[in-house]
Amino acid sequence: MKRIKFLLVVSVLVLALGIASLGVMAADKLPVVIGLQGPITGPYAVEGEMTKQCVEIAAQMINEKGGILDGRMIEIRVADDACQPKAGALAAMKLITQKDVVAAIQTYGSFVVLPASDIYEKFEKVNIAYGATITDLTERGLKYFFRTCGRTDTQAAFFADKVVPFFDAKKIAIMNNNTSFSVGLAEETREALKSKIDAGEVEIVYFDAINPEETDFTVPLTKLRETNPDVFYYTGHFPEAGLIIRQAREIGIEATFIGGDAVVNEDFINIAGIEYAKGVYQTQEALIEYFTNPEAMAFKEAYKAKYGTLPSSPWSVYAADALCVLAEAIDKTGSTDSDDIADYLRNKMDKFPSITGPIGFDEIGDRVGSSINLYVVNEDGSSSICDTK
Amino acid sequence: MKIVLEQLLNGLTIGSFYALIALGYSMVYGVMKLINFAHGDLFALGSYLGYTLLVFGSTYATVTFGIWGGMIAAMLVAAIGIGIAGTLIERIAYRPIYSVGRLPAVVSALGASIVIQNGIMVVWGPRPQAYTSQVVPSVMLNIGGIKITLMQIVVLVISFILMGLLFYIVQKTTFGAAIRACALDRSTAALMGINIETIIFFIFALGPALGGMAGVMVGMYYRKISFTMGWNYGLKAFTATILGGIGNIPGAMIGGLLLGILEMLGSVYISTAYKDVFVFLILILVLIFRPTGLLGEKVAEKV
Amino acid sequence: MKLNKNIKQKNSISKNWLIIVVAILFIILPFIINAYWVDVLFFFGIYALLGLSLNIVLGEVGLFDLGHMGFMAIGAYTTAILNTIFGIPIIVLLPISAIAAGAFAWLVCSPIIHLRGDYLCIVTIGMGEIVRLTLNNNPFGITGGSNGVYGIDFPSLGSIFVIDNSTKFYYYIWLIVGLTIVGLVNLQRSRIGRAWNCIREDEIAAESTGIDVRYYKLLAFVLGAGLAGVAGNVYATKLMIVSPESFSFMESCMLFCIVLIGGMGSIPGVLIGAAAISLFPEVFRAFAQYRMLIFGAAMVIMMIFRPGGIWPRKRGALKLESLLTKAGEENG
Repeated sequence: MKRIKFLLVVSVLVLALGIASLGVMAADKLPVVIGLQGPITGPYAVEGEMTKQCVEIAAQMINEKGGILDGRMIEIRVADDACQPKAGALAAMKLITQKDVVAAIQTYGSFVVLPASDIYEKFEKVNIAYGATITDLTERGLKYFFRTCGRTDTQAAFFADKVVPFFDAKKIAIMNNNTSFSVGLAEETREALKSKIDAGEVEIVYFDAINPEETDFTVPLTKLRETNPDVFYYTGHFPEAGLIIRQAREIGIEATFIGGDAVVNEDFINIAGIEYAKGVYQTQEALIEYFTNPEAMAFKEAYKAKYGTLPSSPWSVYAADALCVLAEAIDKTGSTDSDDIADYLRNKMDKFPSITGPIGFDEIGDRVGSSINLYVVNEDGSSSICDTK
Repeated sequence: MKIVLEQLLNGLTIGSFYALIALGYSMVYGVMKLINFAHGDLFALGSYLGYTLLVFGSTYATVTFGIWGGMIAAMLVAAIGIGIAGTLIERIAYRPIYSVGRLPAVVSALGASIVIQNGIMVVWGPRPQAYTSQVVPSVMLNIGGIKITLMQIVVLVISFILMGLLFYIVQKTTFGAAIRACALDRSTAALMGINIETIIFFIFALGPALGGMAGVMVGMYYRKISFTMGWNYGLKAFTATILGGIGNIPGAMIGGLLLGILEMLGSVYISTAYKDVFVFLILILVLIFRPTGLLGEKVAEKV
Repeated sequence: MKLNKNIKQKNSISKNWLIIVVAILFIILPFIINAYWVDVLFFFGIYALLGLSLNIVLGEVGLFDLGHMGFMAIGAYTTAILNTIFGIPIIVLLPISAIAAGAFAWLVCSPIIHLRGDYLCIVTIGMGEIVRLTLNNNPFGITGGSNGVYGIDFPSLGSIFVIDNSTKFYYYIWLIVGLTIVGLVNLQRSRIGRAWNCIREDEIAAESTGIDVRYYKLLAFVLGAGLAGVAGNVYATKLMIVSPESFSFMESCMLFCIVLIGGMGSIPGVLIGAAAISLFPEVFRAFAQYRMLIFGAAMVIMMIFRPGGIWPRKRGALKLESLLTKAGEENG
C-alpha cells in the first residue's frame, strides 16, 4: 500500500511538472517579451513595486505609439527575486528558460545583480541593471551586461569634491550596513577623501558598520555622537535608515545627516516620521521631478495619471529607461538576437533621448551621461536640489 | 562616566524587551517541555495589533484618551488579543501532539510560526509599518547630563513592573507554587490535585500576553514594525532563556537583561558588526561550564 | 518455512521493481521538462543530500541540531575561496570541503557534545549563527562580506567532462546522492548504525552496554558535517556565488523539518521530505503571498496526523524462526 502511495505521489509530481513546462513551451506568441527581475516581495518591495509600475508605463507609452518591429507590442514578464542572491539566480533562470523572453531588465541590489548577471552572460541574454551601482559590476568584462544607473565611485568622488566643501565639514562620520554596496560606497568615499585627509583638511572620526536587521542602534550611535562629527554620512538602505535618523536625533546627534543613494524614499520618510526626515540630505542620482525634457514630461504625465504620484526613487525610472533603450535597440537593428542588441547598445547608441536624459553606453557597459546631485528633504516630503557648485 | 550610564540604560532597555519575551518561552518550556517557536511571532502580532488600534482606527484611542491612554489601551488590547492567540495555538497545534514526543512538536511550532508570520504579511502587507508620531510621546530629557527619552523611562518602568508582578505571582503565591510544581514533575503535580488544565491555560495565555505587550512597547519605542521582526527578537529571547536557565522564570528575566547588556558591551568595546558573534560565544562558554544555564539547577536524570 | 521464503522473495522483488521504476523516471526526467524545472530538481537534490546529512545526526542519533547549515557554509566557502584565489579545480575541492567541514565539526562539537537535548539545540543554533555572522563580516578580507564570493568555476575532469548546464548538474548531484544513499544504508545496517540508534533510544542504557557514547556522537556530527560540506561544494559551483544569507537559521530549520516530516532515520522518508520542502514552494507559486502560509499550515497538519513522518523508519525485526534456520544452516 505504501509503495503504491509513493508511486502515485511521484507520478502526480511528474505529471504536474510536465503540464507546467508544456504551458511554458507552448508560448510562441507575437509580442516582444522583455523580462523584468525585481524585488516584488520582501523588505524592498516598495522599490520593486515602483519599478514594475514605471516599466509598465514605459511599455504602454511605446505600445500606444505603435509598438516596435512593425507593430509588435511589448510585453513585460516579471520575475520576483525578493532582493536575495539565490532567489535572484532562480528568477534569472526562470526568465532565461522562457524562449520568448528577448532580454531582461534586472535588478535592484548589487549583490543580487552579481550572480544574476553571471547567469545571463552564460546564457547570452542581454541584461540591463537599474539599481546596482557598485563599481565592480562592469569591471568583469561581460559582453551582455549594461546599466542605466551610475556607479559608486562617481558618487564617492562627488561627496568628497562637492558635498564636503558645501558643508565646510572637518569631521566626518561614515556608517555603513555591511552589504557589499554599502561597504563599497563607504570605502570608496574614504578613498576619495584621502587627498583631503592627507592635507589635514578633514578627518574621518567614525567608520563602522551596523547590522540592518536590528532595530536598536542607540549603542553605536552613542559611540558616534561622542566623536563629535560635523557631518554623518550613512551609506546603507532605507529600511533601517529611517530608524537611524530618528534614534540619532533623539540621543542628541546634531550633525548634518547625509544619506547615500539608497536611503531616501517614501518608506524612509514614513518610518522616520517627517519631523525627522525633513532636513535630511542625500547624494542621489537624478530624481524624476527635476527632468524637463519632453520624454520625461510625457512619462511623468502618464505615470501620474495612473498612480497619482511620482516614483520616489530614481531606480525605478532607470528601469523604465532600460526598457526604452532595449526597445530602441530591437527596433533599430530589426532583430531580437542578443548579439545584435548588445552590439547596438555598446557601439551605435549615442545620446538616445530617454526619460532621464541622453543615454549611451561605454565599452564596459556603463552609462554615459548621468549625474549625481545633492538633495534635501522638504517639509512636505519632496526633495529639492542643492546648488553645490 | 556619563556615557557608561547612558549605554547601560540603552542595554537595559533592549534587555527588558528580551526579558519580557523570554518569560513566555520559559514559562511554556518549564511546564510543557516544549519550545514555543511561535512565541516570537506572537510578539510581532501584538505589535501589529497595537498599531492597528492606534493608527488605523484613525487614532481614535489617542483622540479619546490622550497619548498615554492610547498607549495603555493598545497594550491591553494586545495583551488580551495575544493571550487568546496563544491559547488558540496551544489548542490547535500543540495539544494533539503532546503524547507523541518532543521533536514533532518542534516542527509543529515552526509551522505555526510560519503561519503567523505570513498571516501578518497577508493581512497588513509586506512593507514595514510605522507607529506615527501622533501616538507616541517623543519627549527628550536631560537628567544630570544624561540624555534619555521619556519613552525609554516608560519602557523600563513598565517592563520592571510587569516582571516584578510575574515574579511575585510565581514565587510568592499558591498559584505560582502550583506552576513551579508542574514544572518539576507534571504527573505528580496532577496527583497532588493541581488542575493541569488551568495551569496550561494560564501559561499559554500569560506568556504570549506579556510578549504582546512587549510588542506594543517595541512598536512605540522604535516605531518601525515589520512582519519579520518576530524572528530576530524570538531568537535573541530564546538565547536569553537558555542563558538564564530554561524553565526558570527569574532566570529568564536575568537572562534577558544580561543579554541586552552583553550586546551593548560587545557593540561598544569590540565592534558593532561582531556583537552577535560575541554574545553567542559567551552563551556557548556559559553552557560549557554551567550546562543548565546561570540559574538552572542540575536535575539528576532518572535511569 | 517454505511459505516464509516465498513471501520474503515476493517482497524484495516488488521493492526492486519500485527502485528500478523510480530510477528510470529520474534518468529520463530532464528530457521531458524544461530547464527551469531541471534546476528546481537540482535544488531538490541538494536538499536531499543535506537532509541525509542531517539525518545522521538527528535521525539516527537523535541529536538536536539546528545549526546544520553552518557546516554547509564551511564547505561552500572553502570551495569558493580556494577556487577563486588559488584556482584549485572544483573536483579536487570536493573531498577538501568535506574534510574542512568535518574538521570544523569535530573542533566545535567536542567541547559541547555532552550537552542535553535542548541546550545542544541552542548551542548548534549559536554555532550556525556565528559562522554566518563571521562570514558576513569579511574577516581578513577573504569572504567578501554579505556580497559573498563569486566567479566560482564549474566542476571539470580535464576539458571533456565539464559540468556546465542544468541537465549535467542534475545528473551530477543525483549521482552523489545515490552514492550517499548506498553508503548510508550500509551504515544503517552496520554496528555503527545500531550503536547510533541505541544512543537515540536510551543514552544511559547504551553507555552501560559499553558503547562509547561520546565517540559515536562525535562521529555522527563529523560525518553529517562532511556530507553537508559536499553539498556546499556542489551548491557553490552551481550558483557560481556563495553568500551568507543562503545559510541562515531559517534554512537550518527547514532541514530539521525535512528529516522530521519525512521520517526520522528513514532514508526514503528524508527524500520525500526534501521533495516536499523544495518542490512545494515552487509548485504553489501561483498562490503568491499565500504560499508560505499554506506551507506552514501543512507542516502543522502533517505533525498532527502523521507525526512519525511520511515514510517512517521500519525496524527490521529478525524473526526467531529465521534465526534458528540460519543457526541450523551454519551448523550444517
